[in-house]
Amino acid sequence: MVELIGFCHRCDKVVHCSIEPIDLQNYTVLTEADIRQHQEEDIMRISTVLSISKVSASILLRYYSWSVSKVHDEWFADEEKVRRAVGLPEKPVVDYPNAQEHNCGICFETYPRDKMHAAACGHPFCSSCWAGYISTAINDGPGCLMLRCPDPSCGAVVCQDMINALASAEDKEKYSRYFIRSYVEDNRKTKWCPAPGCDYAIDFIVGGGSYDVTCRCSYSFCWNCTEEAHRPVDCGTVAKWILKNSAESENMNWILANSKPCPKCKRPIEKNQGCMHITCTPPCKFEFCWLCLGAWSDHGERTGGFYACNRYETAKQEGVYDETEKRREMAKNSLERYTHYYERWATNQSSRQKALADLQQMQTVHLEKLSDIQCQPESQLKFITEAWLQIVECRRVLKWTYAYGYYLPEHEHAKRQFFEYLQGEAESGLERLHQCAEKELQVYLNEEDPSKDFNEFRTKLAGLTSVTRNYFENLVRALENGLSDVDSHGACSRTASSKNLGGTSNKGRGGRGKATTSRSSSSSRNIDDLGHWSCEHCTFANVKSATVCQMCGQMCQQRR
Amino acid sequence: MTSSSAASRKALSKIACNRLQKELVEWQVNPPAGFKHKVTDNLQRWVIEVNGASGTLYANETYQLQVDFPEHYPMEAPQVIFIPPAPLHPHIYSNGHICLDILYDSWSPAMTASSICISILSMLSSSTVKQRPADNDRYVKNCRNGRSPKETRWWFHDDKV
Repeated sequence: MVELIGFCHRCDKVVHCSIEPIDLQNYTVLTEADIRQHQEEDIMRISTVLSISKVSASILLRYYSWSVSKVHDEWFADEEKVRRAVGLPEKPVVDYPNAQEHNCGICFETYPRDKMHAAACGHPFCSSCWAGYISTAINDGPGCLMLRCPDPSCGAVVCQDMINALASAEDKEKYSRYFIRSYVEDNRKTKWCPAPGCDYAIDFIVGGGSYDVTCRCSYSFCWNCTEEAHRPVDCGTVAKWILKNSAESENMNWILANSKPCPKCKRPIEKNQGCMHITCTPPCKFEFCWLCLGAWSDHGERTGGFYACNRYETAKQEGVYDETEKRREMAKNSLERYTHYYERWATNQSSRQKALADLQQMQTVHLEKLSDIQCQPESQLKFITEAWLQIVECRRVLKWTYAYGYYLPEHEHAKRQFFEYLQGEAESGLERLHQCAEKELQVYLNEEDPSKDFNEFRTKLAGLTSVTRNYFENLVRALENGLSDVDSHGACSRTASSKNLGGTSNKGRGGRGKATTSRSSSSSRNIDDLGHWSCEHCTFANVKSATVCQMCGQMCQQRR
Repeated sequence: MTSSSAASRKALSKIACNRLQKELVEWQVNPPAGFKHKVTDNLQRWVIEVNGASGTLYANETYQLQVDFPEHYPMEAPQVIFIPPAPLHPHIYSNGHICLDILYDSWSPAMTASSICISILSMLSSSTVKQRPADNDRYVKNCRNGRSPKETRWWFHDDKV
């Protein structure tokens, strides 16, 4: 919560105003019980407002994708039309007031009237035909939720009360599953958590805020595209990147760039070392020259020996090989570029997995041990869990910056340069945090007695966590803005970096954010009203008396 | 409602037998105009002769429909095809498969062989041009090895013919 102080425009009195953070959680995690309850509440609301039965209300909601307001609007605009479209006739369309017996329209047998059933339309069928009809529909899939009367000319729906009266227990269970699934899947504001084995759903308030949601199962994903959370990269780029990682085309690119087809059997051959004398694998066994692809029998000392080929050199000068060679070279270059980004993307992904496992280990084993050794309640050790959670999150962001970098246009040099600078800083900041949470903590775990400097360690790790969080939050924002500062400032990209990525803790207390001095001469602008100075390297807010940053050990610029 | 051609060769259930016998009796008493049921002792496969209605493109032409009833008829739709040569029609493929919703997605157990026949005749009668579907060759090629039309995912887009 942020508190703002200002003057009222009318009476000039000082007013205090509390503002909730903008990124207030805009979603709710729903368990199966929650889903059923929401569904039940919506059905009750429609049933009450429209004065119709609950089963009719649920059919209406299902028809209008569970939108209560849509049902209201449509119903009160034209009830007759809605009843016709949905298949909810007010009274039977056929009536047999005096008949004692009926012919079943499916098995053509005759039954006494009380052995027959009909939907709201009144078309009578016998119990066993109804049971067969309902069972076939339920086993055919979720379409059974809008099952119609078997009469071909009739559009009346078969409501849940008939299903309950006529279907087997197993089929009723299936129907009920489709019913609850429909509430999540057909509803515009809910989705299942895509994590394997997770049964929670997410209720999302569309409009404003980020699409990132974290399920109770701790899986974070993008509500818009349901891929894993991918800020600062947008959904389209993620889709492209994922497709690229799985694309056959990359394999083809590789084969094209790194192999040549055997001139005889046409199987691709990769040459990773050795001389130009290639022997294809059995059964082909063709011997040829790697360079000119001619038979080896035509080669020897006179054509340049095993490591060169005069024929190739001559032909190349004549321009015979240019086209294919050029294509091969281009494919190789583009492949190398992609591999560069992919490797780093994948490395951060596995670092993240490792950090998740370490976090788990920390929570289940180490924290308890540490609490014993250092005589600190576990509640006082929360800062360690927070540090690890931050590492996990940073690895995720860093991973996606590599997809970002891959798609950043080659020709936008200033942007690329700036981006790489930011990415590098992010990387080293994260390394610092990771190092502290991993290696430095280890020392305290190996002690026998409480360490005197444990509180200093706490301050340092908590500080690093907060500094890194700020840096990454700002990094995400800067990348999401498409590094727009670069366009307007051009060469001043470094200024933009300190402006964007300086500690947000200072925000709103002065005009420092607008500093335009270049980075190398920065100093006084980093001192705030309380005399703290913010480290130029890691942005940590140091106390006035410190001459060296307490976080990263760099000398204060001003005091050099 | 899917059933492979193999499954449709399974013997009829008791319910299906009873219902088909009733349908057959009804057919004999009250046959649909323009159709003739070729009598066999096979209750599961009906072969029906269709006469094009007079005043339509198919007047004075005769075709044969083959109707195969599945084990769980009428809960499942029968498989209905023309025995080649099939009539030239924008919804009828040269292998005899018919693109008609009530034979697949829109089947209802309250329909009968007789009501299907009437629908098919009406489909023929409303045709204004004698030609094969645009994708005939591709479709027929994909249907080799006697695939049932019930395995096709039909897309019903034309409600005029």
